[in-house]
Amino acid sequence: MKAIDLCRYYRRGPSEVRAVDRVNIVVEKGEFLGLVGSSGSGKSTMLNLMAGLDTPTSGSIEVEGVSLTALTRRELAAYRAHKVGMIFQAFNLIPHRTALGNVEMALYFNDTSPNERRRKAVEMLEQLGLGDRMDHHPADLSGGEQQRVAVARALVKNPEILFADEPTGNLDHENTRQITELLTRLNRQGLTVIMVTHDREMARNYTGRLIRMHYGQVVEETGNSTSPGGVV
Amino acid sequence: MNWRDLLSISTGNLWRLKLRSFLTISGVVIAIAAFVAMLSFGAGNQRLITEQFNELGLFTTMQVYPPRGDSARAAVLDDDAIEAISKVPGVNLAYPFNSFKISANFEDTALELEAQALPATAFNTKLYSRLVAGTFFSHDSARQAMVTEEITDTLGLSADSIIGRQIVISIQVASIDSGLAYILQGERDRLKGRLEEIRFDSLVHDDYRKRVFYGEMNEAFKYFLNGYMHHRNLVCDTFTVCGVLKKMRRGRMQIKPVIIPAFAARRFSVSGFGDDPADLFNALKNGTFFVPSGDSIGRSYPQVTLNLDPHVPYETVSDSVEALGFRTFSFAAQFKEISRFFFYFDMFLGIIGLIALITASLGIVNTMVMSIIERKREIGLLKSLGADERDIRILFLFESGVIGALGAATGIIFGWLITRLASLVARTIMTRQGLDEMELFALPGWLVLTAFLFGLIVSLLAGFYPASRAARVDPVEALRNE
Repeated sequence: MKAIDLCRYYRRGPSEVRAVDRVNIVVEKGEFLGLVGSSGSGKSTMLNLMAGLDTPTSGSIEVEGVSLTALTRRELAAYRAHKVGMIFQAFNLIPHRTALGNVEMALYFNDTSPNERRRKAVEMLEQLGLGDRMDHHPADLSGGEQQRVAVARALVKNPEILFADEPTGNLDHENTRQITELLTRLNRQGLTVIMVTHDREMARNYTGRLIRMHYGQVVEETGNSTSPGGVV
Repeated sequence: MNWRDLLSISTGNLWRLKLRSFLTISGVVIAIAAFVAMLSFGAGNQRLITEQFNELGLFTTMQVYPPRGDSARAAVLDDDAIEAISKVPGVNLAYPFNSFKISANFEDTALELEAQALPATAFNTKLYSRLVAGTFFSHDSARQAMVTEEITDTLGLSADSIIGRQIVISIQVASIDSGLAYILQGERDRLKGRLEEIRFDSLVHDDYRKRVFYGEMNEAFKYFLNGYMHHRNLVCDTFTVCGVLKKMRRGRMQIKPVIIPAFAARRFSVSGFGDDPADLFNALKNGTFFVPSGDSIGRSYPQVTLNLDPHVPYETVSDSVEALGFRTFSFAAQFKEISRFFFYFDMFLGIIGLIALITASLGIVNTMVMSIIERKREIGLLKSLGADERDIRILFLFESGVIGALGAATGIIFGWLITRLASLVARTIMTRQGLDEMELFALPGWLVLTAFLFGLIVSLLAGFYPASRAARVDPVEALRNE
């Protein structure tokens, strides 16, 4: 994945906010990239642009040689449906759906049959140690369990890239450790992971490469793009 | 997402917000119930009329009348005319409507009634085929009579028990004889006196002659009319009741309470004139004044009924008969007019239903917009999972569709229940007033389908704006941490 001169500007009242300003990044397949920075540095905007949720003001993002900016809305949706998995700080689980129902939802848009959906969702939840929590609603799960359900939802469609936006922001220390270890394990199995976090220490420990952003620009890059996530 | 997923998500969301969904769907239910009940009334009445037309064979019945105006050359609706009309292609049968007032004696009960003369062949038509008991009379000169239920009801007899009983029919007819007899018999002394008063030798003077003649002629005519009107001949005959017909009296299709064979009735209907002085003047005008008693030659009729071949368009027959100089009245044409009326009537009711449904659709718009605000994060999430604008639009349209479909289906059931209740009330009132029970409501398949589609389409239209709004939700904005 390549971000070439990527810009995302917003108008806020009379002023222009440069959330992402001429960013050039290359993400290799199987890499665990950490995007760090303070609040408002543009790291989440960068993530949304790479996930195909947001459209750049200028510049482009190429995934396996295909420019996302050249895709139609429908093609962009298909990109999200087939190649992208996302996890969020607030988990974003549907409260009135069970854990199983939430995971199944991820397969609504990639032509999976209802039976296959159920089978894959059950399998994924069991893999993540939530086999006995499948029929529970999010309100009945702990924060860590909720985020694991969210991870299951992101992984169930077997994506090529996992985007994690502050995945441990709402978790305690133990759950943070469990989730980051899970992401590291997945990365080691070949999954490309791009994680946004404001916790530089945690990012340094777990990711293979770290990019620090400040006012929409890349200000620091450490680590090696060919190395997988770190080992704790 | 397939339609099962859409259905599952939509019903799940509606079930989650039960009270709001119930209230929104109730709006559609009320509108569709009102729509169904109103159009059911229109459909019921239309069916009732169609059934009656079919039952009486009115689609193949046409009435022929003499032309309007009093031109001397106007066509006369007499036996020759009937003969000519019956030869018109498409006419199966033509028979005159020949009615007259009678005194009927059923053993010791005397009734003043109207009778009708009818050829035996008329019983092949649907109009006269509604036999309650007995048989039709065997031939046109049989001394048999048919009565309607009106007679059995009046006499307090059952239809079966009146069969075989004797009925004495008598009629007083005015005639030239009765008029002349009055002049010559009743007034002969006065006339003799008047004759004696006339100075015959003065008749050579024009003025005197004119005064005497005009004066005496006017006097004589006055006495003639007095005799004609009040000193009638009595015609009397006995018949055996052979059958009882169902009672009917609707508009132009009247069946008189006593029906006798056409030929046997001639001595009643052509022996003189009725008590209407207009008959006398008509006879004078038509040149049938001196027609011998018992002979139908030259007799004209006020109305002739035609039984038509159903395969020949009524317009063709009507044109041919009118070309002979007569006026026609076609029940099929009238039915067309009635159908047109019902079309506009149904349109009117439909518009009222539509107004109610549009009001209900505002509830749907409100519910769906509220739903978008509440489910903004869900929409953002679905987009992050790969839903495009079309998927979101379809999801919300489907939800509106489910509201419409549930509302329409329930509304149809409620509408039907309303019609059942209204029908029960109407029947009770009819029974209390001694009227025949009629089903005033109908719920044909087309109405069920129309009501359902009506509810569904209006709901989908109501959901179109919220669905488009939901499709435009920015996922980044929706998923932003608060």
